[in-house]
Amino acid sequence: MERLAPQPAPLTWRVATLARLQPETSSATTLILDVPEWPGHLAGQHVDVRLTAEDGYQAERSYSIASAPQDAHLALTVERIDDGEVSPYLTDELHPGDQLELRGPIGGYFTWNAADGGPLLLLGGGSGLVPLMAMLRHRAAAKSDAAATVLVSARSWEDVLYRDELATHDDHGVTVRYTLTREQPPGWAGWAGRVNLEMLRELGADPGVPLRVFVCGPTGFVEHVADVLVQLGHDPHRIKTERFGPTGG
Amino acid sequence: MEATEQHTDGNAIAGILQEIFVAEFTTLERTCQSCGDRNPAGAHRSYRGAGIVLRCPHCGDVALRLAVLPDEYVFELRGAWSRRSNT
Amino acid sequence: MSPLISRGFGGRRRRDVDPARIPPGQYVVDDFPVLSAGPTPTVSLDQWTFSITGAVDEPASWSWEEFLALPSEEIRTDIHCVTKWSKLDTAWKGVSVDVLLEHVDTAAEFVSAFCDGGYTTNLPFADVTDGQAWVAYEFDGEPLEPVHGGPARLLVPHLYFWKSAKWVRGLELLDHDEPGFWETNGYHNRGDPWKEQRYWSD
Repeated sequence: MERLAPQPAPLTWRVATLARLQPETSSATTLILDVPEWPGHLAGQHVDVRLTAEDGYQAERSYSIASAPQDAHLALTVERIDDGEVSPYLTDELHPGDQLELRGPIGGYFTWNAADGGPLLLLGGGSGLVPLMAMLRHRAAAKSDAAATVLVSARSWEDVLYRDELATHDDHGVTVRYTLTREQPPGWAGWAGRVNLEMLRELGADPGVPLRVFVCGPTGFVEHVADVLVQLGHDPHRIKTERFGPTGG
Repeated sequence: MEATEQHTDGNAIAGILQEIFVAEFTTLERTCQSCGDRNPAGAHRSYRGAGIVLRCPHCGDVALRLAVLPDEYVFELRGAWSRRSNT
Repeated sequence: MSPLISRGFGGRRRRDVDPARIPPGQYVVDDFPVLSAGPTPTVSLDQWTFSITGAVDEPASWSWEEFLALPSEEIRTDIHCVTKWSKLDTAWKGVSVDVLLEHVDTAAEFVSAFCDGGYTTNLPFADVTDGQAWVAYEFDGEPLEPVHGGPARLLVPHLYFWKSAKWVRGLELLDHDEPGFWETNGYHNRGDPWKEQRYWSD
């Protein structure tokens, strides 16, 4: 059963409890959270997480929601940035039972609801795949028949988030393709290097089709992919973008 | 136009904007006072200086300046902003 | 509701510093955060100029080559950002504003710094003279990186760092105060970190 996000209330900070941690790659971990009175969300939305030290010092970061609106728990996938201030705390310090302050769901622009229909073109770079995965999970839970094409860009095969799960979506009306930008496994038959016109043409990203296009990831990735889509003839106003900043979040 | 990897976009400041306006902000559309292009707030480029700046994704002109003070928010909106009334 | 304390979270601040060097409400960092009101402008050095304009008998202007030929200084100083980070013992090289004003005849009481990209900030004339301000083009022994304001930025370390305008192209000398980009939108007109003058309300 589909739950639509309610009208946005004043955003309040809530206390979430970590139910468990789920490693995704050597640097990314999903936090499975219990959030009392969670109002529900739309795929694509994010939460703001706030950490407070004993002397009152605070740090805040935004994380895209990885879980579908239909899921019982809220899931956030966090990419650990080595010299980061917040991400190493979330991936390395938190234990099940620990609490976390967050507010949300936030953001009505970069969202997709099964009722919106498709076909979808989802392009994710690194952790930019997270909100797009929420869309794919929502699509499956809602039993949507919207066609979806996904292009995942990652540094290496080991860095691809949700690899096994993506393969299962690939069997159900979703096409998933990969481009690995820094290293490829032996015998790799997929794409390598930055997203380019050829890849998009092969994916059938034809500007003539009314695609719902979502691009997410580090700012450089998003700017580049949006440029290539526009070169291909897409209207920039029909490309929805979410930029994670220089480090990619 | 000039693009740099240092910026994010309107989605990144959606939380603080919803805190101020007590309403979803990223879906509001703005017609630029300089170039006339129309884009949702979520598609605008967001910069963090002393305060926060949102800029037109087409021409880079300032759309929003925002300062968060201890007891108030100080903000300037430029251009013509639109919100649908029938939803 | 008071915020939840995050068990084991300390943040990335340095704690081993002499508190007398840290203005109220600041914390010390080792990296150099990049903040900006807009995209990093690109300018070719053969088109770059620095000008003194406004309430002067004769505006002055230097090309990049002329600018580099001016007497310069090595500056070692602490810098303080209104977003609460401070960085200690930063090393710069630049031309003192006193040198730039040496042959300028003016009764101006205020200046407005103008920059590539459109940023402006205002200062009392007395805050940019007497060895308090430079136009800096090197940081840490290297040419100033574009994201940190290169080719040249204003450096006024005794005030919050939004006054040290990046990508500066000149100073307009004025007989009246003209609040700049942030001063017209919530930030303090002067910005003394030791008096914690961050905002309008301070």
